[in-house]
Amino acid sequence: MDTLEKRLAMLARKGDTSAFAEIVELYKDKIFHLAYRMLSNRHEAEDVVQDTFLRVYRNLDRYDENQKFSTWIYRIGTNLCIDRLRKRKPSYSLDAEMNDQEGVDGYSMIPSDDRTPETYLLVSETQRMIHEAIDSLPAKYKSVMVLRYLQDMSLQEISDVLNMPVTTIKTRVHRGREFLRKKLERKI
Amino acid sequence: MDCKQAVSLMHNLLDDDLERSCALDLKEHMLACPACRERFRQLEETEQLLYGFNHRLQPTTDELTERIMSVIPKPKKQSAMFKWVRRHPAITVAAVFVLVMMTSALSMWNADKQLLVKGQQLDGVVIQDNKVIVPNGKVVKGDLTIHNGLAEVYGEVEGNVTVVDGKVYQASTAHITGSVQQIDEAMSWIWYQISSLFPGNATAP
Repeated sequence: MDTLEKRLAMLARKGDTSAFAEIVELYKDKIFHLAYRMLSNRHEAEDVVQDTFLRVYRNLDRYDENQKFSTWIYRIGTNLCIDRLRKRKPSYSLDAEMNDQEGVDGYSMIPSDDRTPETYLLVSETQRMIHEAIDSLPAKYKSVMVLRYLQDMSLQEISDVLNMPVTTIKTRVHRGREFLRKKLERKI
Repeated sequence: MDCKQAVSLMHNLLDDDLERSCALDLKEHMLACPACRERFRQLEETEQLLYGFNHRLQPTTDELTERIMSVIPKPKKQSAMFKWVRRHPAITVAAVFVLVMMTSALSMWNADKQLLVKGQQLDGVVIQDNKVIVPNGKVVKGDLTIHNGLAEVYGEVEGNVTVVDGKVYQASTAHITGSVQQIDEAMSWIWYQISSLFPGNATAP
């Protein structure tokens, strides 16, 4: 699998645009899901996908063939997400309850047609809670937890993507897991 | 084993990173400790919820692919030149150097409309309007270079006389030990500039 991507990367490096288009097809959904889970915003997630591929294209010359292609592209995507989370001004979450009116949250303030398809899919209360719990994770735990559970990566793979020692990743998974356990306590 | 240790082992177990002997110790502790049993159940449930949440996103649209392909830079024809430059940095640097030298030499040639006299020892030299005169009986030690002017030599010059954009007049009494050169054109001026960079090779073609 990975050799195919490496071959495509080599072709794209030589200026083969159709090879690059194949890379985009292989990874756009994966990077989109990563970014959507990290940012909880479809538009921002699509922007991250676009930026990721633009960066991949510009840096094809610097891609080290000894490294897995997926590790490389996930690193670029994750870093772009983390940058966005850091730059984000503290904003009001749609899911946060307003202080003055009890039981009224951001969703009731906007017409239902504006809800994104993803929000629609969160039909059950449980789904909504999981979404909120992940969204409320601090950035450094969020990236690790999203890669671990929503991208199914091993601790070693996460350590390669984030360029951090496995022991650090382990500690973050443990803390992240406890954080989510407390958030979801009512449901479990 | 206390509960704190047990929780740490629980996480290792969920990471698939716990030795069999430790796992047995943990199991023993949990059988005796309802709180830890409950804690582990919650952690397992949390994991299950997260894994179950995995596949509920809609795929991206085809427009996104088109958008990406439209923003990536098209392979340019120029890139061949850039590649060449990248592969031959030394030649590129040399070419840029020569270009800069030539433009500066050319601009010097163009800018010089005023009389300019250069030499190591100009004590005996007389300058009148655009004439540079070496009077009879005077000795100029070293080279004499004159731009945009007329050189009239009656005395002695112990070196070369070079006149750029001008004329040399040598009287019968003149004595010049070195060579006499008159340079009028841009190309020979450039050649003179280049050859003067390398001492001992200061003759025009």
